[in-house]
Amino acid sequence: MMTSPTQHDADIIVVGAGPAGSCAAIAAARAGKSVILIERGPFPGSKNMYGGVVYPRILDELVPSWWETMPVQRWVVKRSTMLLSDSGALNIDFRANSWGAPPYNGATAYRPDFDNWLANHAVEAGARLVCSTTVTGLLRDSNGRIQGVSTDRPDGDLHAPIVIACDGVNSFLAKQSGLYPHTDASNFTLGVKETLALPKHVIDERFGVRDNLGVDIEILGGTSGVNGGGFIYTNLDTIALGVVLKLPKLAAQQKRPEQIIAELKRHPAIAPLIEGAEVKEYSAHVIPEAGLDMMPTMVADGMLVAGDAAAMCLAAGIWLEGVNFAMASGMYAGQAAAEAIAKNDVSSRGLSGYTDRLEKSFVLRDHRKLRKVPHLVLSDRVQHKYPAFVAGVVERVFRVDNPHPKPGVRRIVREERKKAGIGLLDLLRDGWTGMRGFG
Amino acid sequence: MIAVIPVRDGVAPAGADEAIGEANGEAVFIGSRADVAAKDLTDYGVRFWTIEAELEPHAVAIDVAHALSTLGRTDSIVLPASPDGRDLAPHIAHRLGRTLFAGAITISDERVSVSVRGGLAIADHQPSGPFVATLQLGVRGSERDERETIIEALSSIIASSGVVSSAASVSSAVRSDGVLPPDVSTMDLAEAPRILGGGAGLSDGPAFDLLGRVAVALQASMGVTRVITDRGWASHERQIGTTGVVVDPDLYISFGVSGAVQHTSGLGQPEHIISVNTDAHCPMMQMSDLAIVSDANEVLRELASRLAVERS
Amino acid sequence: MTITVCIKWVLPNRDGDERFAGISLADQAAVETGLSVAEALNDTCTVVTVGPPAAEASLRDALACGAHDVVRIDGSADTDSAETARLLAEHCVHSRFIVCGDYSADRGSGSVPALIAARLERGQALGLIDVRIVGESLSVVRRLDGGRREKLSIVGPAVISVEGSVARLRRASLRATLAAGEAHINVITNDGSGALRRNPETVPPRPYRPRARVVPSPSGSSALDRVRQITDTSSSKGHGETVVLSPEDAASRILESLRAWGYLADSAT
Ligand SMILES: Cc1cc2nc3c(=O)[nH]c(=O)nc-3n(C[C@H](O)[C@H](O)[C@H](O)COP(=O)(O)OP(=O)(O)OC[C@H]3O[C@@H](n4cnc5c(N)ncnc54)[C@H](O)[C@@H]3O)c2cc1C
Ligand SMILES: Cc1cc2nc3c(=O)[nH]c(=O)nc-3n(C[C@H](O)[C@H](O)[C@H](O)COP(=O)(O)OP(=O)(O)OC[C@H]3O[C@@H](n4cnc5c(N)ncnc54)[C@H](O)[C@@H]3O)c2cc1C
Ligand SMILES: Nc1ncnc2c1ncn2[C@@H]1O[C@H](COP(=O)(O)O)[C@@H](O)[C@H]1O
Repeated sequence: MMTSPTQHDADIIVVGAGPAGSCAAIAAARAGKSVILIERGPFPGSKNMYGGVVYPRILDELVPSWWETMPVQRWVVKRSTMLLSDSGALNIDFRANSWGAPPYNGATAYRPDFDNWLANHAVEAGARLVCSTTVTGLLRDSNGRIQGVSTDRPDGDLHAPIVIACDGVNSFLAKQSGLYPHTDASNFTLGVKETLALPKHVIDERFGVRDNLGVDIEILGGTSGVNGGGFIYTNLDTIALGVVLKLPKLAAQQKRPEQIIAELKRHPAIAPLIEGAEVKEYSAHVIPEAGLDMMPTMVADGMLVAGDAAAMCLAAGIWLEGVNFAMASGMYAGQAAAEAIAKNDVSSRGLSGYTDRLEKSFVLRDHRKLRKVPHLVLSDRVQHKYPAFVAGVVERVFRVDNPHPKPGVRRIVREERKKAGIGLLDLLRDGWTGMRGFG
Repeated sequence: MIAVIPVRDGVAPAGADEAIGEANGEAVFIGSRADVAAKDLTDYGVRFWTIEAELEPHAVAIDVAHALSTLGRTDSIVLPASPDGRDLAPHIAHRLGRTLFAGAITISDERVSVSVRGGLAIADHQPSGPFVATLQLGVRGSERDERETIIEALSSIIASSGVVSSAASVSSAVRSDGVLPPDVSTMDLAEAPRILGGGAGLSDGPAFDLLGRVAVALQASMGVTRVITDRGWASHERQIGTTGVVVDPDLYISFGVSGAVQHTSGLGQPEHIISVNTDAHCPMMQMSDLAIVSDANEVLRELASRLAVERS
Repeated sequence: MTITVCIKWVLPNRDGDERFAGISLADQAAVETGLSVAEALNDTCTVVTVGPPAAEASLRDALACGAHDVVRIDGSADTDSAETARLLAEHCVHSRFIVCGDYSADRGSGSVPALIAARLERGQALGLIDVRIVGESLSVVRRLDGGRREKLSIVGPAVISVEGSVARLRRASLRATLAAGEAHINVITNDGSGALRRNPETVPPRPYRPRARVVPSPSGSSALDRVRQITDTSSSKGHGETVVLSPEDAASRILESLRAWGYLADSAT
């Protein structure tokens, strides 16, 4: 396919200045292509929400020594997984002090800061950023080939041989281009989050950290019978507390998400952590949850899809990652697009460098590996039976019931498994899936 | 300190009493029929001077400067931060080469506190010499001054001599076509002395339309709760409350308003409150002088026919 | 003779985050007014600000909306009103209309426009709530107190200031926005020194707290009466009357009360 650059406004139009879009723009602009990055918010990140932890190692390629300038709240040095039953909690902690020094592992950061910072790198690399502008559709020529985008501004059509859709979950562009068949509610979860303000020293004390070091807690159970999970992340002087809920279950339970958050906040294991905190913000957002199984076709003639728009979010219970996948896929899309322009072939074949890169990197490998994990973690058994089962076992193992002698652990496990209504076979099968997925 | 009170057709602006109080009862009244306005405010002053003049800012600045030097006054000047005060004060400050403190909430020779950032913060200043300041309306309150008030007329130098070259040409650039009387339906809610408030109890658009008409018939302005602005029936400037407009009417009549604190906190302290609501126990009814348990939509319809309000 | 619009770029708070900075609604309305007047009179429209480099973002927005020229006079956002007015006035000498917002979002003195008028010995019409272009002149309405309004005709040269409700700023076209992003911005630096007079502020601002209000002294004849008058709240609020009435009776009762309280003296019924 031939391109005729003269009548184009740019080589590449990137829609959405989230992590995916900015990285796409950085990569393409670095490769010497002219890029226009369009964002609907008044500045990048202004409207974006997420849980709160980013894993930015992928930036090594794009922004050397990124940790020196990245707007970080706290570096995560402690990860916990909490299993909540109605009244008990089992905590599994992992602490790595090495995560508190370069090159670090994860960090809590505010999206308006982080996204804006990343977009500035795109601008420095030469991309033209246009904010307060919403892309409203794809432009096609008479043969149906993608020619650019239309926007909500007067005189708002922009022409380019390649459009990279980084417009987030529910990508309107991916849908419009016919790349995205999965719009079924069962593939999505709803993320709801409260930002809770507490003085820094109180957070330090309650979570056992200091300076700019922080904690990441993932929660299983405690979502009021709606399948999902929860999280708590520490920022400098706020805590992000949220839940991720299966949409169909949420609808069936007829519970409001804010009710579920409120109940989680009252749980005896959570309440002391957030006592006295003032709610600063409440937000909600849909997450593509089904992982690999719902990813759209990511390449079409003249178009690439990256980040959440391509459902590249890993919402597997104790993992809640999306920003890193978005940055990586964005970067690969940008590189592939630049390549395609250079070889003057913007057909899906010319753009296939994108899928090649995804296949070779963690992006698709992780997704492939964890393919069944979201279903497992969000299954009724794991959701409703295991936390009570595990907490029951642990509670009884540790309970001192004098004058009765301690029962044997094996007996406790058997009794609690029966009490929780878990068949032995199911337990073994889930254990196997989990081992394969996580192991 | 001495107050300068701009006068339009014998009427002093809101806040004139407070400015005079801040200046210990001494004031120069300037404008058309300044003497009438001065006589109206003798309860608040001790020594008034009046200058009959047109309210043209350049000319007023010259007149005020001249009057003060004639009186041998070199102290600071305070004006009410009313629209006319706001417009004149900078001219006077410029003429006298003094610092201007606009929108002050307390004024003394040692310290002037000015509200900044849309009223969220106060900046304190220590003036280094005589200054010109405008005093925000309603921040001070006023007390009567029992002392006898002496009123003396001064002549306008604009009228008597040709000192000003520019003033005449200036006034031809901007010509007043007259003053319109208050219009309750477009009046700023914050200034409205009577308000009819509508809430979620108004069942539909037509009932809500009646609210506006009855309000006009009662020479009142219309205010609403957030439920109504959320329904899109009224614009945000009509919303009374913490996230809307703060009002301070004499009379508030509510129709189907429950009286949530976010609403009532913007209500000021009306002298009289009447409420119509089907729930006798809601907070709005509790704080009313007259609480009528009845259907607000029907009562509005009835009031409309009594007041012969046309329905479109 | 051109139209000059003055806008002030404001940080949302003191330790300002520039991402949230911008111009007030009133200044946006000023830009729109300036542009429409210039279009109607077939004149050019220049937008000027006294501010730091970051203020250029707002100038670019104005360019994208159709301003013919933009100028940044280098200065801190803290430059005091008189100094700001001096710098702006120097720049507006040849303007037929100087259009300002009625209040800036931070200091909000509403004094800069009048100070410009005083310096340039121009006519002024401030706090406008309606602006119409009639032939070669403007027919405007300005807010007075107590709900009164003044109608004015302005031929100019004059300074006007508009409230935010007067006009809504048009949406810039995409192409103009892209072009404005790269446009050259004229910057005027002052006296070489760059040291402008700051606000004569001695201490940082403190949170707003209303001052104690003067209350009229009580006028009762006995000491007890006077004490009651200032301390007794029972007399007015909280002791209202609750009645259950049919709509007809309710209407009668409302009108009756209004008449008794003196609200209906001047109207029919
Ligand atoms: C509750 C919750 C918690 C999460 N927690 C985490 C976490 O802790 N860690 C983690 O790594 N991930 C987390 N995620 C996932 C993560 O937020 C996403 O995977 C990530 O933001 C995807 O980046 P993106 O650039 O693809 O899309 P987005 O971040 O959604 O960015 C899309 C951008 O496009 C813009 N846009 C959209 N439509 C248009 C249009 N038509 N025109 C112009 N611009 C447009 C948007 O304004 C936005 O800036 C969480 C998600 C949720 C909902
Ligand atoms: C952060 C925040 C800021 C807010 N800011 C504001 C604000 O600035 N201004 C504001 O107004 N609100 C504000 N609110 C909303 C506020 O909390 C209330 O929800 C709102 O004021 C209620 O409006 P209402 O009285 O019209 O409705 P409701 O509370 O629903 O009350 C309706 C009333 O009508 C009565 N009623 C029903 N039918 C009839 C009938 N046929 N005849 C007579 N009476 C009837 C009912 O008994 C009830 O008392 C804010 C809320 C939040 C959270
Ligand atoms: N620094 C500035 N640069 C340009 N215009 C200004 C500046 N400060 C104030 N103005 C104009 O004067 C109006 C009133 O401002 P203020 O007197 O600060 O309330 C603003 O709405 C602007 O139109």
